[in-house]
Amino acid sequence: MLSLTATLGTSIGIGTITIGDILWFVGIIAVGVIIAKVVALNVRRALTERLPKSERELLAKVVYYIIILWAIAVALPYLNFDLSGLLVAGGIVGLVIGFASQSVVSNLVSGLFLMFEHPIKIGDNINVAGITGSVEDIRILSTIVKTYDGIYTRIPNEKVFTSNITNYVHNAARRFDYKIRIRYRDDADEAIRITKEVIATHPFALKNPAPSVFVYDLGENGINLTAYIWAPTRNWWEVRTTLLWKIVKRLEENGIIVPLPQRAVWLADESRTSGGDAGAGKVEE
Amino acid sequence: MFGQYNSTFRYESGDFLVESERADGLLTYRRRCEERAFERILAVSETARVTVNPVEPVNLPKDITDLLQIEFAPIVIEPGATQVIYLKFPVEIGVFLSSEKGIEILDIFSAGNQKYTLYGPPAGGVIARWYRSAVYPEIPPAERFREGVMKLSIQNTSGEWAHVSCVVFNGADMKIFYNDDIVAATATMKIINPSLAETDFTDAPLIPGMTRSVELYTTRKIRVISRGYLMEWGLS
Repeated sequence: MLSLTATLGTSIGIGTITIGDILWFVGIIAVGVIIAKVVALNVRRALTERLPKSERELLAKVVYYIIILWAIAVALPYLNFDLSGLLVAGGIVGLVIGFASQSVVSNLVSGLFLMFEHPIKIGDNINVAGITGSVEDIRILSTIVKTYDGIYTRIPNEKVFTSNITNYVHNAARRFDYKIRIRYRDDADEAIRITKEVIATHPFALKNPAPSVFVYDLGENGINLTAYIWAPTRNWWEVRTTLLWKIVKRLEENGIIVPLPQRAVWLADESRTSGGDAGAGKVEE
Repeated sequence: MFGQYNSTFRYESGDFLVESERADGLLTYRRRCEERAFERILAVSETARVTVNPVEPVNLPKDITDLLQIEFAPIVIEPGATQVIYLKFPVEIGVFLSSEKGIEILDIFSAGNQKYTLYGPPAGGVIARWYRSAVYPEIPPAERFREGVMKLSIQNTSGEWAHVSCVVFNGADMKIFYNDDIVAATATMKIINPSLAETDFTDAPLIPGMTRSVELYTTRKIRVISRGYLMEWGLS
């Protein structure tokens, strides 16, 4: 009966590699995998409340593969694998792979930069490379955006990183505006007061920065008022879509009408057919 | 209206109607408050209880922030001084269902309108529920279903004069108490420098014998470590 030492020392017929070497190799890799899994699991747990899921997963994967690579580097000498030779070969192969996978690496690096720079987060409403929507996921190589009409869009990270990014929800509040036209015969001060009053009734039309309503210009068809309103970024669309009609209705209740496009007409015999006040006399539409 | 009830009860007064009644074998909760109505069918055991009490006023019309900002007439405080004032804060009423298995929020409502504001600059500022209060030297009368009374102790620990006209709190820290007359909270504001202050709530009733409200953050099983709020965007 062969002793354990003799068995482990038995060559397998490839160079001087023995069964013992194979067992060492397998053992080190197995331990490496176990350590990698445990460490990655703990990284996920430790960062659960500190990092978003996508970044947490990315970091856990990076840690996992670094440990696996370390285990492979430690185990390879048992198979008489000369790592210095690997470095030379790896240099050439790396060059070839590098050229071949330039865009992949570029996307990967861009993904890491995006992670550190933090211009966008999952759930943010953004516009990047001409695509507008909410960020569904930020992966190692690409960013997933769901457009507002529900279309899944994958954007390579390199494109995200090198494009102008507009993040609509980065700040807590954002401003929007309305253009409201009233007739020349209407009292602009009264229209401004009513508009401000309606804005004040909306919970999410922010108190500060205060809304601003003013006469913007004197148009061809009426006096143009502008209203600037600040709202919480996450609710601005709701405010934007509900407030305008309320303002128009309240103005109409107070006799202030949004005029139709109109033009005063003067006849050649100089007899005046319009009151000289848009909306007050005979008009042509 | 505030208190604990069996699964069927009814409270009606002025603009408020809160009731839970059994009809056709179904237990139904109904609420009406200033023409706003809410109704739910309840599937609860006989031992279930309904609790109605004031909750942190940062939930309506929808939960978008934890912060509450109260604005008041400017106060000038000399270095090292402490001033106790009374303010009013908005009251939101929470209706909870509780049984041996736990507690769940059923409804939140309030009288009147809400208003929100941005505390700080557009870049970096935070959204807060806004409320304007007068400054009172002693406990003011308040309609307890609409307004609560807050005792605020302002301490100027800095070596400079401070001008204060608003206070911002983290609603998650809020400790609300009530009795048959008022809803109340006690808070502190520690001025670190003329543009920086720390605020926090005190877990103590304004008047001995008050009942402590069930908090929303407790029922949502969110563990809150009371850490106060750092007002870093100024005191006015």
